[in-house]
Amino acid sequence: MTPEASPDVRARLLDATFVCLARVGIAKTSVDDIAREAGISRATLYRHFGGKAELLEALGQRELTRLDAVFAAAVQDCATVGAACSVLVVEGAEFLLDHPVLGTILAIEPTAITPLLSLGHADAFLTAAAALVAPHLAAHVDDDAARLRGAELLVRITLSHLQSPNPQRSITDPQVAQAIVDQYIVPGFVGKSAIERIQA
Amino acid sequence: MGAMSTESDPLSVHDQVVRSTYACIARFGMAKTTVEDVVRESGLSRATIYRHFPGGRDELLREAVAWQIGEFFIRLADHVEGSADLVELLDRGIEFARQAVREHALLQRMLVTEPDRLLGLLSTESTKTLPFIAAYLLPHLERARAAGDLRPGVDPVDASDHLSRLVLSYIGARGVVDLDDPAQRRDLVTRELLAGILRP
Repeated sequence: MTPEASPDVRARLLDATFVCLARVGIAKTSVDDIAREAGISRATLYRHFGGKAELLEALGQRELTRLDAVFAAAVQDCATVGAACSVLVVEGAEFLLDHPVLGTILAIEPTAITPLLSLGHADAFLTAAAALVAPHLAAHVDDDAARLRGAELLVRITLSHLQSPNPQRSITDPQVAQAIVDQYIVPGFVGKSAIERIQA
Repeated sequence: MGAMSTESDPLSVHDQVVRSTYACIARFGMAKTTVEDVVRESGLSRATIYRHFPGGRDELLREAVAWQIGEFFIRLADHVEGSADLVELLDRGIEFARQAVREHALLQRMLVTEPDRLLGLLSTESTKTLPFIAAYLLPHLERARAAGDLRPGVDPVDASDHLSRLVLSYIGARGVVDLDDPAQRRDLVTRELLAGILRP
């Protein structure tokens, strides 16, 4: 294997894609920019990725895997379903708010993202996000359907607060997230029998 | 436009321009609608239009979308008028909203022909309606509290904020529950939306 064929060429190219996107957004990032940022030749880049669209797709996948790991670490020590829901809300909101690439895109080319949250497209986005969150509730909610509905509810509420923050109550404040979850969300998705079990 | 108005009446000029812009969008689409088109359609001068809409074309398009969203919520409020309780109100509201969105011919056409432009505006303009939805729901929550129907610790103002977010979210995206199925929709309203608010 030549040094350029090593598996970390892919990682370096994705790192470079991340840096370029965070700097100038999607429209102004070219394959040449990414190759230059990575210190890798154009020809080598094309051996690993078909082009810009493939790089974006692979970076998106990598970021989702990273978020998944953040969620897994966060729920590890949660004793109750309420605690798990609340850390998922806070971690998810912080991940999105602090994300350098999302921040740049929202600032300079928001129409690349806002459609995901609107009519028609929002269904696919919600379903994917709920599927990412749901497994992290597995320790507390047995029923598959209830878990998916609960995860979807968490995603809806988190996105709503990110899109239109409540000036008095920031969703990234753990106490606020806990209060919203305990008051409105846990009773809403675990189902009546499960609520009784929790209260008992 | 049939409605006569004079330039000394700022409200009606504003209305007239917004309605004319909407008529142009329906005819030409968003991308092709220009300030000149609105001048021709409204019969008002370019100077008058810029006096009321200094942001020009972008502001006209934004205001036309905001006006349609406003009209939509007025019809929604009309439709749920006279509901016996919160469950029926939300049930009928979501049913009507889903159907109205599906049957809005221009909206559906533009979702296909110019989704990016429209969805960006829909997403930013519709979140501005949150306070209105919350204000609409508040008296219903206060009535429920007076009747002793709220769970302990539920504050009507806080609950109206939370519910308004979910209502808007479900209008935009269906999720795993089939909102067109009456039994499933009812179940969603009593669980996801109200289980944390109303006494079991």
